[in-house]
This record gives sequence, structure tokens and C-alpha cells, in this order.
Amino acid sequence: MNETSRTERLFEAFATLADTLVVGYDVVELLQSLVDFCQELLDIDSAGILLANVRDELEVVASTSEANTLVEIMQLDADAGPCMLSFRTRAVVSVPDVDVDADRWPAFSATALAQGIHSVYAIPLRLRETTIGTLNLMRNEPGELNTQDVRAAQALADVATIGILQERTTRDAIAIRDQLQNALSSRVVIEQAKGVVAETRGVSMDAAFARIRSHARSRQTPLSVVARQLVSGELRL
Amino acid sequence: MTTDPFRVASDALSGTEGQISELARPFVRFLPVSGASVSTFGTFLSAETISATDARAGRIDELQFDLGEGPCWDALSTRRPVLETDVASSAEWPAFTRAIQGENVGAIFAFPLAIGPLEIGAVDLYSDRPGSLTPEQQEQTVALSAIVSRILLRHAVADVAPSPTSTFSRRLVHQATGMVLAQLDTTPEDAYLVIQARAFSESRTMRDIAEDIIERRITFSALPDGEAP
Repeated sequence: MNETSRTERLFEAFATLADTLVVGYDVVELLQSLVDFCQELLDIDSAGILLANVRDELEVVASTSEANTLVEIMQLDADAGPCMLSFRTRAVVSVPDVDVDADRWPAFSATALAQGIHSVYAIPLRLRETTIGTLNLMRNEPGELNTQDVRAAQALADVATIGILQERTTRDAIAIRDQLQNALSSRVVIEQAKGVVAETRGVSMDAAFARIRSHARSRQTPLSVVARQLVSGELRL
Repeated sequence: MTTDPFRVASDALSGTEGQISELARPFVRFLPVSGASVSTFGTFLSAETISATDARAGRIDELQFDLGEGPCWDALSTRRPVLETDVASSAEWPAFTRAIQGENVGAIFAFPLAIGPLEIGAVDLYSDRPGSLTPEQQEQTVALSAIVSRILLRHAVADVAPSPTSTFSRRLVHQATGMVLAQLDTTPEDAYLVIQARAFSESRTMRDIAEDIIERRITFSALPDGEAP
């Protein structure tokens, strides 16, 4: 991608994220768009977003692949890894070589390396005093993320965070928590819906999710609504 | 406050969670029967009378267990209610019929307790005199039996197959729940119970079972002759 078209796509990404926010949005869908943009526009191989639940544990809410291997890596990362550190310290954590830091987070490092992930960059989703989760960027080779990508990723993360926290002050901490918890709860139904489609269509979880998502998009219906319809049997895909 | 006897019975059942020794009582509140019992048996739970409204109801259960024949066995294996409207003239279960001669039982009705592929047991109802149940009464008994099945299964598995605690394990269980609910054409709640019961019966974790379901090493079938739990 040359520089002009990249800038254009980045601009489109912001515009799309902003649109999602104006129309009244589904948090899962918004965050899914965000990780997809990251994968398309940045020099990375996979990305994911984790949100804090009511117990302050991070849960994967969106990722560029629904393959359980990637999700497991990020979940291990959330327990003890750069992503957890980024959330706790509310700062960017860069791990340019997972192998070098392997002793620090053994479970995460071993699983990540086994899946060919060699560098990780974790950005807190943060606005002033409130941190709601992290954006994780992963590459299949060691090395720092280039400066331009760092800035673009930070900007995308900020837009999403501001979007989620818009018109809320920190006094609304409970309301924010409820909203994030709703997003995580709708993830439960989305997982069940993936199972339904995987079973009825005989496809992988990843393919099932792609089907659900493309249906949601073409009908302009939130993912969580489509998922609920699939689970209740109102809809078949 | 409702006065419909079926509603009263079904509300009573919904509040019975935890006190499974009371499960039989609601049935005698709205049905023209003299006594009722709820028992577990089959491929999954051990043979046991869980609740009986009176001693005779308990004996009817016990005789069927001892003899290995009777309406409750047939109800569970066919997954259909068995209505014996006149026990004295019945030729279905010679040993059982002979054994209960002294009990003065006119009619026996047995309703299966099952969830998807899982055999739970049966509800046995008896009446002093011969007689039958109306289609509506049968329908209502089936509806109450479904509630009883869930209560019994939850009770049996809750302590021994705890829900997974890690986020990633939960995610796998949710995916597996979706697959099972499609396989059995049921609700997420029941699909979850089926997975939990399988974990219980194999002394494995729910995550283990979920992975087998996702990898299609385990599939469930609603038919009684399907894969045994």
C-alpha cells in the first residue's frame, strides 16, 4: 500500500468509526471494525481487543481471527503478559521479541511462540483516568512497530475509547461498566451463535463468525441481535 | 394470585429447587390421582426414589426397580407417557402386575424424565380406581415433568461439574453450547446442562467436553437410542 492510499484508508477508517458512533452503535461491532482496520492498515499480523469485566479481569471482545488459538494467546496475555501489564500500568507496553522476555510470562510466551507470534504491542484504551481495556497488536516477526504505525494505532484506539466513553464523565463509572459488561455478555451469545452456525453448516468457528458478521452488516443489524436470533432459532444462516 | 390448579402446581415446582424430596407433591394437586413419585434411573443416574407422596407410591417405584419391568421403564425407554388405565386387566408386565395386586391400585401413569439424550428417570402416578388422564392433563404433566427433569439434573451435576472459571474455557463452553443446542434443537440452558452432565458422567471438566464437541469428537442426538451419555 503506498503512502497516499494508506492515508486515505486511514481517513476512511476514522470516518467509519465516527459514523458507527453517531448512528448508535454496538460496542462489539465497533471494536471488531477497529481490529479489522488495524490488521489492514498496520504492519501487523493479528490484533485483538480486551475489555475489563466487572471483576476487573480482561476478556477478549474482538479479534482478527476467531480461531481459538489466537483468542487463547490473548487470554493468557490478559492473565500475565504485556496486555495485562499495559492495562495495569495504563501505558503502552512493547515486547519486540517475545523469546527474549519468555521467562517473564512463561505461559503466554510459550503459546505465542508456538503459534508463530514474535512481537507484541499493547495499547491501553484510556481516556484521562479511565482505562477500559487494551488493544493488542501482534506480529509474526520480532522487531519494534514502526513509528507511523504506532501513531495510527494510538489514534484508532483513542477514537474507539472516546466513542465508548462519549458524553460520560468518570462519575458515570458504573454506567460505563454496565455498558462494557453488556458488550462482554453479548460476546457470550455471539460464541453460542458461532457454535450454532458451525454445527448446522459444518464449518469452522472462524467461518461461522464471518457468516454471522456479513449477515449483520448486510442487514445493518447489530451483531448481538443477529446472534440472539440464531440462538433462539428465529434465524438460520 | 392464581387459582388454576396447574399454575399453582407449576409455581410450587419452580420454588422447589433444592428440596427435591418435595418434587412429587405438585402432581397430586392438579391431577385426579391418589399418589405420585419421582425417581431417577436409567443409563445416567442411579435408581432411586427421590420423592413420593405416600408409602404406596414409594412401593410402586421400588417394585419396578426390583423386577426390572413396569410402566416407568417403558416410559423412559420410549420417551412417551405410559397410561395403564386398568391395572387389573393389564397383560403388559406380568411380574409387576402380580406383585402389586395387594396394593389396590386401579390405574398407573408413568411419564419420562429426560433432557435431550440424557435419561433422568420417571414420574409415576397412581389412582385407586381405573381411569385415564385427559389430553390436557397429559400435556400439563409433560410440562411439569420437563421442569422436574431440569431440577434433578441440576441437582445431580452442579457440585461435581462446576462451571469453568477461566475466561477462555468459558468461551469454548459457549461455542460448544451453541453446537449442542443446534444438535438437539433445544435452548442454550438445556444444552449447557447436557454438557455439564456429560462432564459429570465422565469425571472430566466442562472445558474438556467442550473441546471434544468443537472438534466434533462428541455429538449429541435427541433420540433415546443415540449416543449414551
